[in-house]
Amino acid sequence: MNDTVTIQTRKFMTNGLLQLKQMVTDVLQLGKATVPKTEVQEKLAKMYKTTPDVIFGFGLRTHFGGGKTSGFDTSVDYAKKNEPKHRLARHGPYEKKKTSRKQLKEHKNRMNKVRGTAKANVGAGKKK
Amino acid sequence: MLESDLTSAVTLLKHLQEQVMAVTAQIQALTKKVQARAYPTEKGLSLLEVKDQLLLMYLMDLTHLILDKASGGSLQGHAAVLRLVEIRTVLEKLRPLDQKLKYQVDKLVKTAATGSLSENDPLRFKPHPCNMMSKLSSEDEEEDEAEEGQSEASGKKSAKGTVKKYVPPRLVPVHYDETEAEREKKRLERAKKRALSSSVIRELKEQYSDAPEEIRDAWHPHVTRQSQEDQHRINYEESMMVRLSVSKREKGRRKRASVMSSQLHSLTHFSDISALTGGTPHLDEDQNPVKKRKKIPKKGRKKKGFRRRR
Repeated sequence: MNDTVTIQTRKFMTNGLLQLKQMVTDVLQLGKATVPKTEVQEKLAKMYKTTPDVIFGFGLRTHFGGGKTSGFDTSVDYAKKNEPKHRLARHGPYEKKKTSRKQLKEHKNRMNKVRGTAKANVGAGKKK
Repeated sequence: MLESDLTSAVTLLKHLQEQVMAVTAQIQALTKKVQARAYPTEKGLSLLEVKDQLLLMYLMDLTHLILDKASGGSLQGHAAVLRLVEIRTVLEKLRPLDQKLKYQVDKLVKTAATGSLSENDPLRFKPHPCNMMSKLSSEDEEEDEAEEGQSEASGKKSAKGTVKKYVPPRLVPVHYDETEAEREKKRLERAKKRALSSSVIRELKEQYSDAPEEIRDAWHPHVTRQSQEDQHRINYEESMMVRLSVSKREKGRRKRASVMSSQLHSLTHFSDISALTGGTPHLDEDQNPVKKRKKIPKKGRKKKGFRRRR
């Protein structure tokens, strides 16, 4: 049983609308656990001769019985403009704001009580 | 009148003399060659040998006749005449045989002249079993295909059967006239067929028949509804590059489908053979009963805090 991880790509397509390349990835790992996304990213970067930080993988699911994982990958050639934020956050460059949901809702409700430019001053209510 | 004839006769005789001398020289050369065995005919076509022997005999008799005639004798009742007639008839009879062998003779002559078979010779494309790959070796199927292509190119060696003309099937709409009794009969027939192919009857058959036991290891040929839906889902996911969520109902269905097709279930599952035995039909859990289901009271549906299960 060989211990190497093989990656095959299917349905490769250059998506002109989103200005990226997308493909379906098949990872064959016999006798090993599911390969993490970062490893898949590196291998694909080597295959397509780009840097690993323009490759985003998602939807990796292992088939029943192990040994094979299928997932999707997009490779962005341009400035990562059309990639959804959560994927960017997963792989590095994007950081999401950490304000909690409850705080946002409370802020909104306080703003609803006031009319006009006074809304901007409602932020003082938070610091109470 | 006789003088003109005389001069022409003299010139003719002179010509004759010259020709006769040329012919004798040639024939002497030929006889020398034949006596020196320059033309071996043991391995040749026997028909041709017969023919040239006959022709030689014909010539000999003819020269004999000419000799007799030239020295003043008459041809009436000459034995050579009869022999000539006989040889002539035999040669005439040999002519159709000659026609039939014409192709072979021509080819042999061509082969003898050029030294090898010509390019368009169809015999070149006959199958050579020594050149073919055995069926046991799976590699190199291209060689066989090349041979096939060549043999198909010639018209002569193709082994096609008679090509039948395609007749489309005639489908005529039939009037639906089924009564209740007929429907019942059909249902019974179908149940009988199903019972015949059930495991109980099959095992009985195997027990009492002399045929050897067959073990089949084939892929599951039944494409169930669940597997079709799964395939559809996979295709959608891959083309849209999204992952769809699986609801509880869907999960239940999948689990049921996998349980159905597992082998352990069939250990205790015996299909219904009442159609053959004539008893009362008993149904499995998976089959729907013919009777209508009782109406579920709607009270249970309107519970407070009811959450719709997808």
